[in-house]
Amino acid sequence: MTTVENREMRLGTIIGWDGSAKELIKQSAYDDRRDGKKGNGCGKGCGSGCKLCEIASPLNQETMCSNAIVQCQIGNLTDCVLITHAPIGCDGETPKFNLTMHMGLARRGKPQQNTLNMSTNLQEKDMVFGASEKLRAAIRLAKERYNPKAIFIAMACATAIIGEDIDSVAEELEPEVGVPVIPLHCEGFRSKHWSTGFDVSFHGVLRQIVEKHPVKKQKDLINIVALWGTDWFTDLLKPLGLRVNYLLDNASFEEIRQASEAVATTTFCETLGGYMGAALEERFGIPQVDAPQPYGIKGTDAWLRAIAKIVGKEKEAEAFIESEHKRIEPKLKKFREYFKGKYGMVLTGSAYAHGLITVLNELGIKNEGALVFHHDPVYDGAGKNQDTLKELVETYGDIPNYTVSKTRAFQLPQLLKRSKTDFLIIRHPGLASVAGHLGVPTFALGDEHIPVGYDGIIRVGEILVGVLARTKFNQALQRHVRLPYNDWWFAQNDPFVLSNDEHVFDEIEERLKNA
Amino acid sequence: MGNLRQIAIYGKGGIGKSTTTQNLTAGLAEAGKNVLVVGCDPKADSTRLLLGGLAQRTVLDTLREEGEDIEISDILKDGFKGTRCVESGGPEPGVGCAGRGIITSIGYLERLGAYTDDLDYVFYDVLGDVVCGGFAMPIREGKAKEIYIVASGEMMSLYAANNISKGIAKYATQGGVRLGGIICNSRNVDRELDLLKAFAKELGTQLIHFVPRDNIVQRAEIRKKTVIEFDPESAQANEYRQLAKAIENNKNFVIPTPMTQERLEEILVEYGLYD
Repeated sequence: MTTVENREMRLGTIIGWDGSAKELIKQSAYDDRRDGKKGNGCGKGCGSGCKLCEIASPLNQETMCSNAIVQCQIGNLTDCVLITHAPIGCDGETPKFNLTMHMGLARRGKPQQNTLNMSTNLQEKDMVFGASEKLRAAIRLAKERYNPKAIFIAMACATAIIGEDIDSVAEELEPEVGVPVIPLHCEGFRSKHWSTGFDVSFHGVLRQIVEKHPVKKQKDLINIVALWGTDWFTDLLKPLGLRVNYLLDNASFEEIRQASEAVATTTFCETLGGYMGAALEERFGIPQVDAPQPYGIKGTDAWLRAIAKIVGKEKEAEAFIESEHKRIEPKLKKFREYFKGKYGMVLTGSAYAHGLITVLNELGIKNEGALVFHHDPVYDGAGKNQDTLKELVETYGDIPNYTVSKTRAFQLPQLLKRSKTDFLIIRHPGLASVAGHLGVPTFALGDEHIPVGYDGIIRVGEILVGVLARTKFNQALQRHVRLPYNDWWFAQNDPFVLSNDEHVFDEIEERLKNA
Repeated sequence: MGNLRQIAIYGKGGIGKSTTTQNLTAGLAEAGKNVLVVGCDPKADSTRLLLGGLAQRTVLDTLREEGEDIEISDILKDGFKGTRCVESGGPEPGVGCAGRGIITSIGYLERLGAYTDDLDYVFYDVLGDVVCGGFAMPIREGKAKEIYIVASGEMMSLYAANNISKGIAKYATQGGVRLGGIICNSRNVDRELDLLKAFAKELGTQLIHFVPRDNIVQRAEIRKKTVIEFDPESAQANEYRQLAKAIENNKNFVIPTPMTQERLEEILVEYGLYD
């Protein structure tokens, strides 16, 4: 099968929820789902499917879809071409992903290059008569122009609606161009959350690039399912005698091919890495690291120990852990003193947020609220120790205002009103700029590996000192900038009032009439 | 174009939409009316009887082969008594999007100036299964103002007619489309006339004409002719003339009130279709 079941079907993923983190853990019933017991519904006793109950929002804001994720994953490979089979507008984010490509290459010490992306640039006539001939021409041109190691075809909404048969075209042209031609079914309307795009990308490389008969094992190679982050994983894993193999952004064909020769797979974010990790384990027996994510002291310790166990380097790991604890202790002590009484709020992708909140806790920063862009009640093929939200809450305590909501900037006023916070950490820059206008200094986190490991705690601490120094600037900004929300909206306390109050639209209509 | 009557004919596949449309437009043409028939079916067989064969190059074929720089005369052919005939056409089966093809080709006809001021009627003959938005195009955006549904006493044809009415009701508020009536193309089902009258009444419309079954229609079709051309003196030719006249004089335009599946079945039981 070239298609991947979307996340809401496979994992029960949701994009709208509001309550305490503890309650979400209960409703998620991670262990039951992991054991394949899908009959528990939302954990509140309603329904019998695998889906959690979620809040449906009548107002949505989003800049990503599965197709965009494929462009930022597959489109950022160094020696493979991605052809987006769509009208040209679907490639609108190419400049942005070209920037991430350059930044990622710089962070990883690889030579600079542009992305190898093409579009079939479909017009009205292509929609009516079918566009497979244009796709064939694009594949041949990709071969001629770039001589790539593989050619990917990304489906888009328009081509999916007219049922373009990209599988057959790929199969037909593969012998001719002499490299894998890989169809990716990533049309935007397939899934309400963009993370399905990660799974589609991994599925494509697993089927057609990853070595199917890994005769030669590389006992010192570990897969890190990542994005474009700086290579700080080497600092953590070199003491165990391991080399890192980052997947997929900025990777080459060869780096992806050798994934099945590695000794283990791990990630900086379980919600990103689950599908790849699970498939490598299921298909090639390469274990996923069944441990908390490498954030904070306890998490990083456990993660290192789990890897050490797989590679038989327990002694080395213990020595490294001890020396790292000693090394960061004085700095950490200072930061804990500095941040005493401070509150923070994280707004990022789901499992990654759990890692960041862990780091804030290590720095002595409290959290009353958090926002994640979606929630997976369980991860693909996840182990007992990979329940990231449970790990967070059991170690550092509950988060009373834990919100699942896609990048809906309009909810920021209520989120800020409800939970005390001195700063925000936001991963999507568009959201960060709105937050900055609300009078709260905001850390727009780009390099997602910043908080990883022991040094990650220190790195985040150093950055936050600078962020807090901007408090007065952001307060001044708030006084001088008008956001598009009216007083009525600012007066609301519930970020989901549009969903939770059945009379809210009557009220809005009444206000409009009287305005 | 103030007096232009824009009409779309819908109905279940195989019910006789194209045959009825061509015979009735032949009747209108015979009465001196200027008529344009636009076939909206990828099979492109909506104007065969008026043209005396499938002599037509479709809008989409022409567009595909010659690009956008074409003349109206490349795609519009004159048929029986000066009826103007156009076939929208479509992609080959299994690829592309035939529905989008209808949208593209109607837009194209407008740009090429197919809708001239001297026209009295435009007829859209749409394929039976309105499977997507494209096939609803003639009733959207005010392209067709009047709809006639061809039906018979057979259950599935009434089921389809009821469904089409739902589509009309949906677009009635934005495009101003109205249902002009039901045309019965008889299959000689028991109590067919009563059933169709009751069905039309339930929809809030009228049975505008009952066209009896007559093998002369098939004989004319084999010779690629409408009945009016093939045997102008026949009783069946007069039936089509009466239908044309009824449409010409029609003032009964409604937003239909489609019924539930249960109600539809009640009517069928009432008229003995389940015996």
